[in-house]
Amino acid sequence: MIFEQLMGNIVQGLILGAVYGMATMGLSLIFGVLKVVNVGHGAFIMVGAFITLFFFNTLGLNPLLAIPVAFAVGLAIGLLFYHTAIKRLLNAPELATLLATFSAGVLLEESIKLIFGSEFRGYNWDIGNIDLGFTALPVSKLYACLGSVLIALLLYIWFNRTRAGTAMRSVVEDSEGARVCGVNVQGAYAMSFAIGIGLTVASGVLLTMFIPVGINPYMGGGYTLKAFVIAVLGGLASPYGAFFGGLVFGFIENTSYTLFALLPGVEPFALTRFLSFMILLIILLIRPTGIIKAK
Amino acid sequence: MLKIEKLESGYGAMQVLWQPSLEVSRGSITALLGPNGAGKSTLLSTVLNSVKPWGGKVYYKGEDVTYTPSHKKVHKGMALVPEGKHLFPNMTVYENLAMGAYLDKALAHKSESLDLVYTLFPRLKERHSQMAGLLSGGEQQMVTISRSLMTKPELIMLDEPSQGLAPKLVSEVFETIRKMKYDIGLTILLVEQNVDASLDSADYVYIMHEGSIKAEGVTEKIKESKDITSTYLGV
Repeated sequence: MIFEQLMGNIVQGLILGAVYGMATMGLSLIFGVLKVVNVGHGAFIMVGAFITLFFFNTLGLNPLLAIPVAFAVGLAIGLLFYHTAIKRLLNAPELATLLATFSAGVLLEESIKLIFGSEFRGYNWDIGNIDLGFTALPVSKLYACLGSVLIALLLYIWFNRTRAGTAMRSVVEDSEGARVCGVNVQGAYAMSFAIGIGLTVASGVLLTMFIPVGINPYMGGGYTLKAFVIAVLGGLASPYGAFFGGLVFGFIENTSYTLFALLPGVEPFALTRFLSFMILLIILLIRPTGIIKAK
Repeated sequence: MLKIEKLESGYGAMQVLWQPSLEVSRGSITALLGPNGAGKSTLLSTVLNSVKPWGGKVYYKGEDVTYTPSHKKVHKGMALVPEGKHLFPNMTVYENLAMGAYLDKALAHKSESLDLVYTLFPRLKERHSQMAGLLSGGEQQMVTISRSLMTKPELIMLDEPSQGLAPKLVSEVFETIRKMKYDIGLTILLVEQNVDASLDSADYVYIMHEGSIKAEGVTEKIKESKDITSTYLGV
């Protein structure tokens, strides 16, 4: 019985982990290229969640259709934010971009609150389950996982097989070197920031397919913290590292939940959070460059 | 080919360039010499616009390019071999060279440019699949110079290419610079601290000190003028 439950948690954990990983790739991409830490990360995820709500509850459309729209909205917000603030702060002390991304997060939260209010919302997209014997897997969660893997693959191909992606990699390696090769470094910064935000907003759609409840303007904070743990697991500057970091994190979170539930008198959910941050602390102490080696 | 008029720039509130003016004529090797901190590297960075000009003018082939973005200057045929190499350490030697042919214009000539740099530096052909970060200092300098040649330049600006190299490699670098002029027909602006080797290769020399040009002349004249060489070059 416990064993079956554990198996179920491992599978569910890996599926959730893929979504977590995808939800961290934008953070790592932006840090890798611009060395900017997006402290408002979770607020951009929240925007994606509200886009999903709008698609499902208001328009009555399939949440999957919200993914490209969320990505496009993220690109637009990212470009706007880059050109109005980030561009001017790149050579300023790091605190400036931290404050700017933090403020952008607050701005998004309060704007969404003004429009939609602050109550918790949710939606119910029931398209059946797949029975694996030891666990039942909702098809919507499976879609969220497949969507995440697909987006991660697309990003990988774009980075490694296209000219724009290669230019971006060269900027990550050495921006001055890229400049003397004729790469438009400013343009590459703007593009990677926009793509990073686009991925993050799109991940808000995938995350709510997984957890379609508790959607409110302030839901992002928890995701920001998780994304930091995952990004550090994956070596901070690599989007693929982040993806695998997400798999590890989802696995740990879900499995430890089952194990903690066995302990009498313990609230397992709170303990899994505790565990996440213990992991973060330990990694930072023993291997601050991340445990996963990705190029 | 390149004309700089009263250029001014700096970092933050600190002005580094105090209106130096100089000219590089087509097909020549022009050396810009001077002690550490004279502003030579800043001058090259300002010419390429990776450091923003505060004032003055930069003309390339008669066209005002003072505020033209760096990547457009590379497209026009201006290349910079930056100080401190600035390679892509986690890319192979070949990928580094291929990045030099990033722009359309250079991409069209990629295979002939590759032949050219492999003829200049046969060692790079042997090492083409190695990570650039793992090469020796001399080999890395070869990659940096070759990557610039891959951009299909007409004017190449070299920022202390012999810095930190063993004496034998230093003479190899200067040999390459002469080949760029005589065999490939490039125009060269060379910033150096190695005075002797530079005076052996250059056609025309500018002496820079504290952000402005203190002396200039054809190489023989500079060599003869003991005043200039002892005051600014410590020879």
